[in-house]
Amino acid sequence: MDKSFVEALARQAGLERALAEFPDCVVNAAAQALGRSGEIKVPASPTAEAWPPMQVGRR
Amino acid sequence: MTDDLHWLTAAAASRAYAARRLSPTELVRALLTRIDRLDPQLNAFIRVDAEGALAAAAVAETEIAAGRIRGPLHGVPVGIKDIIDVAGLPTTCHSKVMPNTPAPSDAVVVAKLRQAGAIVMGKLSTHEFAIGGPSFDLPWPPARNPWNRDHHPGGSSSGSGAGLGAGFFPLALGTDTGGSVRNPASACGIVGLKPTYGLVSRRGVFPLAFSLDHVGPMTRDVADNALLLDAIAGHDPHDPGSAAAPRQSFAARLDRGVRDLRIGFVRHFHERDMPAHPEVAAGLDTVARTLAGEGAILRDVTLPTLGEFAAVNRVILNAEAWSIHAPWLRERPGDYGLLGRRRLMPGAFLSAGDLLAAQRRRAEMIALVDAVLENVDVLLCASSMDPPSRIEDAAETARTYPPQARAPFNTTGHPALAMLAGLSADGLPLSVQFVGRHFAEATLFQVARAWERAAGIDRMHPNLG
Repeated sequence: MDKSFVEALARQAGLERALAEFPDCVVNAAAQALGRSGEIKVPASPTAEAWPPMQVGRR
Repeated sequence: MTDDLHWLTAAAASRAYAARRLSPTELVRALLTRIDRLDPQLNAFIRVDAEGALAAAAVAETEIAAGRIRGPLHGVPVGIKDIIDVAGLPTTCHSKVMPNTPAPSDAVVVAKLRQAGAIVMGKLSTHEFAIGGPSFDLPWPPARNPWNRDHHPGGSSSGSGAGLGAGFFPLALGTDTGGSVRNPASACGIVGLKPTYGLVSRRGVFPLAFSLDHVGPMTRDVADNALLLDAIAGHDPHDPGSAAAPRQSFAARLDRGVRDLRIGFVRHFHERDMPAHPEVAAGLDTVARTLAGEGAILRDVTLPTLGEFAAVNRVILNAEAWSIHAPWLRERPGDYGLLGRRRLMPGAFLSAGDLLAAQRRRAEMIALVDAVLENVDVLLCASSMDPPSRIEDAAETARTYPPQARAPFNTTGHPALAMLAGLSADGLPLSVQFVGRHFAEATLFQVARAWERAAGIDRMHPNLG
């Protein structure tokens, strides 16, 4: 994982303090997140909506 | 009536009160004595509210003696996971981050329990903010497993599972965002239900991930679980995720057996997706054979893989949790424990596209599970893939914690119940999970009760002296 890329993302997210005090945690968190969405089979249909965020059964 | 009061179920305590063989004060005193003796080894409690519990017991005793019985939970002790507000007590979330100030009011679930006459015993250990644990760098130690205190009791509702397993209370509330009711149920050999999303109000519960959070009943047997769900379920117009499901008695079909019920066995979860420990796999086969012997019709069914469910669940959980914790993680990262910090920060690195991809796939996954449940009444599958790890072996915990089959049903909102499937050769709990159609908890209890009765597992307790 590109260290400068992770640091840039962390700064963009406002994590300067975490980056200074807990750099290993920041790298670990980035490793957990980056690429995770690649494991998801995104619906092929453009009309497959993401709304509502959670809806089960009858309401 | 003095022997083994600590193993009384809620239903048995209620019967004993009605027959004047026991009073709420006697039971609460016996449990407080046991907690005082054993909890220093198990750390199930963050705070025991002895004074509040004894005061509530005295009130319940007076009401019951006067014939004003509120229902089956009247005078029955309950433990509350410490991310759920109890008026007058701080909600610590097991974290240094939270202010040490009393909650101004009860969470809706706690208010419902008080209305039913239940007695709050105190606040219970959790993983930090229901995600970062087990940890030794927090203001309170992690709970330990009553079957063997060197082992993890599961989490994040760790104190709820440990306290039930240890006989500290017959009822507890936990919360479940990726499996946090069912993991301690699996590790501590008790019964834990994640209800249908929206069935139980989350108001007054510190959120982890809005669209995945559930409050769930935890008990030592299936009948008590149904009674506890009866007390806490119901529409809450002030909880945006609440469902307006019709009222029902969740215990209605408890003892009907499973003859001709169709049970879909999701073998690929533990055989291919995340291969389980051989004793876990053997336990699942035993449950399936036993239910078939009781008249159920078993067939194998296929769902999306656990890997894909986990990816969708984690992206949504990480994104929603980050939106809650970002201000504190920016300003006070050192106030979190190591695991909490690492598990709450990933959302900072997700894109809007990542979240939308997960949400769009989630809708498909709900439909896929619904479609399978059109052809069977209940699913049977693994919960944990391994027996509980040694709590101080961080590498073993890291290896055994992620492989699990619980998160799929937070993602889809289907009700899911985990319970004891037997004991390992080392005497540790093994587990099974049953999953039902949305709002069909009564059918889940029916199947779980049939397994419990056939296996006699409700009479299995750890020997704590």
